[in-house]
Amino acid sequence: MAHMDEVRARLQDHSKGLLGRANVVATGAGYKIKSGKRTKKLSMVCSVAQKVPLESLAVSDRIPPEIDGVPTDVVETGVIRALATRTERQRPAPGGVSIGHRDITAGTLGCLVKKNGQVMILSNNHVLANSNDAQEGDPILQPGPIDGGKLPTDLIAELHEFVPISFGDPPPPSDCKFANGMIALLNAGCRVIGSRTRYSIHRIQAADNRVDAAIARPLKAADVNQDILEVGRIAGLGRGELGTQLQKSGRTTGFTRGEITQVAVTVDVSYGAGRVARFTDQLMAGAMSQGGDSGSAVLDGDKRLVGLLFAGSDNSTIINRIEHVFSALGLAL
Amino acid sequence: MKYGVAALFLFLAAGGLSANEDRMPLTIEQVKATHERELLAQPGVVSVGIGRDDQGRPAIVVGMDKPRPQTQAALPRVLEGYTVRTEIVGTIRAR
Repeated sequence: MAHMDEVRARLQDHSKGLLGRANVVATGAGYKIKSGKRTKKLSMVCSVAQKVPLESLAVSDRIPPEIDGVPTDVVETGVIRALATRTERQRPAPGGVSIGHRDITAGTLGCLVKKNGQVMILSNNHVLANSNDAQEGDPILQPGPIDGGKLPTDLIAELHEFVPISFGDPPPPSDCKFANGMIALLNAGCRVIGSRTRYSIHRIQAADNRVDAAIARPLKAADVNQDILEVGRIAGLGRGELGTQLQKSGRTTGFTRGEITQVAVTVDVSYGAGRVARFTDQLMAGAMSQGGDSGSAVLDGDKRLVGLLFAGSDNSTIINRIEHVFSALGLAL
Repeated sequence: MKYGVAALFLFLAAGGLSANEDRMPLTIEQVKATHERELLAQPGVVSVGIGRDDQGRPAIVVGMDKPRPQTQAALPRVLEGYTVRTEIVGTIRAR
């Protein structure tokens, strides 16, 4: 059997020649794999972009089973790329990388979804639609502007639709005199007959927010990727419950894990410049995000999509339920 | 008109009475929904949700922007039988 020193020496002699053959992307020394199992035989390992039938290769491109008495092995690794960072331009762009409307800093490309059969990029309103201050068709850049994204080179999509965020303080109690008089009368009546029920009246208000969500239409299908960085493919839709294990992939903190610590959360979220929006039926997790992670797809342990990350503090992360996101925008996977 | 108002009044008051008599135990979701507006109106309260207490039982969790002894002391410890606990979650910002 060949020793490591011998294999190394043979590699020095032959790696250039091997790398010149079709499909070979790397060479190295390693144990030969046979029927999926590691053997004790050291070999010269040729990594190939893809395995092809021997007959389809020119004789000069084939890897002989043995070179100068050292066995060879051929493994499929795919094309090897330098790992691009999340804040760089990526085509096709996967989930988990920097993206943003022309007028914002940057957020995260969540994942791909479908609207009426058309592929769309899903992220937050405040990432793709500048917190309501945007028009359908506005340019979306990957990476986002703060990461150097510029028009026209980094244009990846056009804003298609967003769910408006309603800002403002919760309304004060009604100041309608007639209504207040009626209520006083009813409550007096309740007291008289010994009932502990009391009526109260409120001005009708705009519904509380449930989602900070928007979709953008990629200009070219080839510019986007179904996968989410470091997570892979979404396995389906899930439902977040107390204790559900979470994973997300975001522009700033990359791949992180967490757990749902609260459900049915009503929360006041600051949007800067004194603007606050109240959200209901949210999920809360611990610290698993930072600024720039907004728009990240949140998946459970089985890679089912459960939410859309949009806010947080030093020790908490706030997530829209995916069922509300999908129903508000009419989406499917 | 007078009789109409009186009839409406009696109908609603009686409704209040009967709702009072056969009372189902309220779920934690109902209790939270009933009280959250009032809790969120307290100084420094930024969130109200359903989590767990130290023993792992469902509890109403009130999130504070920072430690606020006065507000925290004034909050109820129990609502309709459900534990209420506070947690410092900090100011929540869009990311």
